Amino acid sequence: MSAELRLGPSFARSLGDLAAPYVAFAAKAFAREATYRMEVFTNLGSLFVRLYLMKAVWSALYAQNALPPSGIPLHSVLTYTCLALLMSLVLEIDGTRSIREKIREGTIATDLMKPISLPLYFFSDGAGMTMLHALLIVPALILSLTLVHIDVPPPAVLAAFGLSFLLGYLVNFTLNFLMNCSAFWTLEGFAVQLMVRWVSDLLSGQIVPLIFFPGLLQSIVLALPFAAIYSTPLLIYVGTIPPQNYARALALQVVWLVVFSVLSALVWRAAQRRVVVQGG
Amino acid sequence: MVGMACAETHRTMPIIETRDLRKVFRSLVRQPGVAGALRTLFSRHYEDKVAVQGITMSLDAGELVGYIGPNGAGKSTTIKMLTGILVPTSGMVRVAGLVPYEQRRRNARTIGVVFGQRSQLYWDLPLIESFELLRAIYGIPRERYRANLEHFTETLEMGPFLNTPVRQLSLGQRMRGDFAGAMLHDPQVVFLDEPTIGLDVVAKEAIRTFVARVNQERGTTFILTTHDLADVERLCRRIVLIDHGTLVYDGEIEALRDRYGTHRTLVVTFFDEEPEIRIEGAELESREGRVARLRFDRRTVSAEMLIRRVADRYRVIDVSIEEPELESIIRRIYLEGYTVA
Repeated sequence: MSAELRLGPSFARSLGDLAAPYVAFAAKAFAREATYRMEVFTNLGSLFVRLYLMKAVWSALYAQNALPPSGIPLHSVLTYTCLALLMSLVLEIDGTRSIREKIREGTIATDLMKPISLPLYFFSDGAGMTMLHALLIVPALILSLTLVHIDVPPPAVLAAFGLSFLLGYLVNFTLNFLMNCSAFWTLEGFAVQLMVRWVSDLLSGQIVPLIFFPGLLQSIVLALPFAAIYSTPLLIYVGTIPPQNYARALALQVVWLVVFSVLSALVWRAAQRRVVVQGG
Repeated sequence: MVGMACAETHRTMPIIETRDLRKVFRSLVRQPGVAGALRTLFSRHYEDKVAVQGITMSLDAGELVGYIGPNGAGKSTTIKMLTGILVPTSGMVRVAGLVPYEQRRRNARTIGVVFGQRSQLYWDLPLIESFELLRAIYGIPRERYRANLEHFTETLEMGPFLNTPVRQLSLGQRMRGDFAGAMLHDPQVVFLDEPTIGLDVVAKEAIRTFVARVNQERGTTFILTTHDLADVERLCRRIVLIDHGTLVYDGEIEALRDRYGTHRTLVVTFFDEEPEIRIEGAELESREGRVARLRFDRRTVSAEMLIRRVADRYRVIDVSIEEPELESIIRRIYLEGYTVA
């Protein structure tokens, strides 16, 4: 009890104390990721190969068509593809994957004996990993520039892209969190996870810009939450979403973020209940 | 319940208190076979398993209590309720004035936990970095952290491996690290779950000495769950015995010995190979060369009297008296149940 009093003499101090563990988690995750150097290099190599293939496929497709499909020129598609690959360096990091291990090995119980919020722990751990992999973007970008030309839009567009990317990152986190929380109910969630991953890769616009989908399907796919992850920031970047539509596009991302956050909170409550009532 | 007297004589507020603490696990009854599995999907047949049924106990600050019971007796279920990660089905539980399951995170600040079978340190990180992380987690003031770290590094002799990644530590080193990690934030109550399992004699003794010292110097309350009764004999004055989720005995180990340990063994080493050994008031339990073991009831004959009788009749080199081990006493209680004298 006295420790409690000692810890919070002023509000600012206790706010710092509240954030301190999560900053430390992120720092440790960053350091941990840095020890896997080989993975870093293979990541760069695979990115280069994928970009090369993408360039070949898109160039061949465009050479066959007299009119560019959906009115988006080849250089925009290549910019889109290249940026999608760079973004995947960060977005493919799943900090919540350890939920599975913790449940399988039962260490979730010892984690609950610590005075921390576990969802925030997963978030900061993932953020730390992300930070390290984000550093890779610079060499990856330089490498990419040897293959393709990347359009650079005006600063206002870049800013909107940045904001949209951040929202996409958060939507991606909550989606991963929800998926991994399924492990609380079923231990064989891996197949489900893989399926969601594939569907999400396709429907998020990571591989093919969603505007290539025909008519009705396109409207549906663009309205799905997956689009908030890759498609929205990238379409802002290449100009398919014009500035007058930014507010709407960003608002839709925010809506998905709120929906998934609320859902995450509910699922976490239920999961915690499951642990505390049934003993995990 | 029995043996509550020693807790009630204290007037201070108990640091741990439970009243009629119960935990019932409910699980869906699964039926065998494919058809059974399908039926299970729609079945509403539940089976209740009572893990803890009505445990009432009270611990004062600074006590070091052995919490003993066979596998499946409900020990870890109780500990989980005390640490706030399991909600009781009914009853009251309070740790340092808090209701653990209602205030899990606040409760976590006042308790420390050491599991012999599961490290809480961060596998990939050097030991010292795990400690740093714990400092951040518990928000330990830097001064306090430094003083504690210095103290524990010295008493647990962790200096040589502070910078070694946890996965490269030996079990003994890792356990010392786990102990330090659990104590850095000055917890008022520490739960030890099989803390010496798998350790060699020297490492066991180091851990026991450390616990005794922290208990004495800092007044930290310890609850020790273990199957190694040597830990309990060495550290605890009081034990709480549970079986099938109910409290069987709560009181001093000495009292248990007095009650159950009515027989002692006198081990005599004779000068000559005696062909026949017969002592009034004792029965020959076994003999091996010149060493004989004589069992006697200390209520009917005193050790002094017995030794005099032996010495009167034979030439004796050495005598010693063995008390029954706590283990055999407890085994008897599990088998026969505890009966009030």
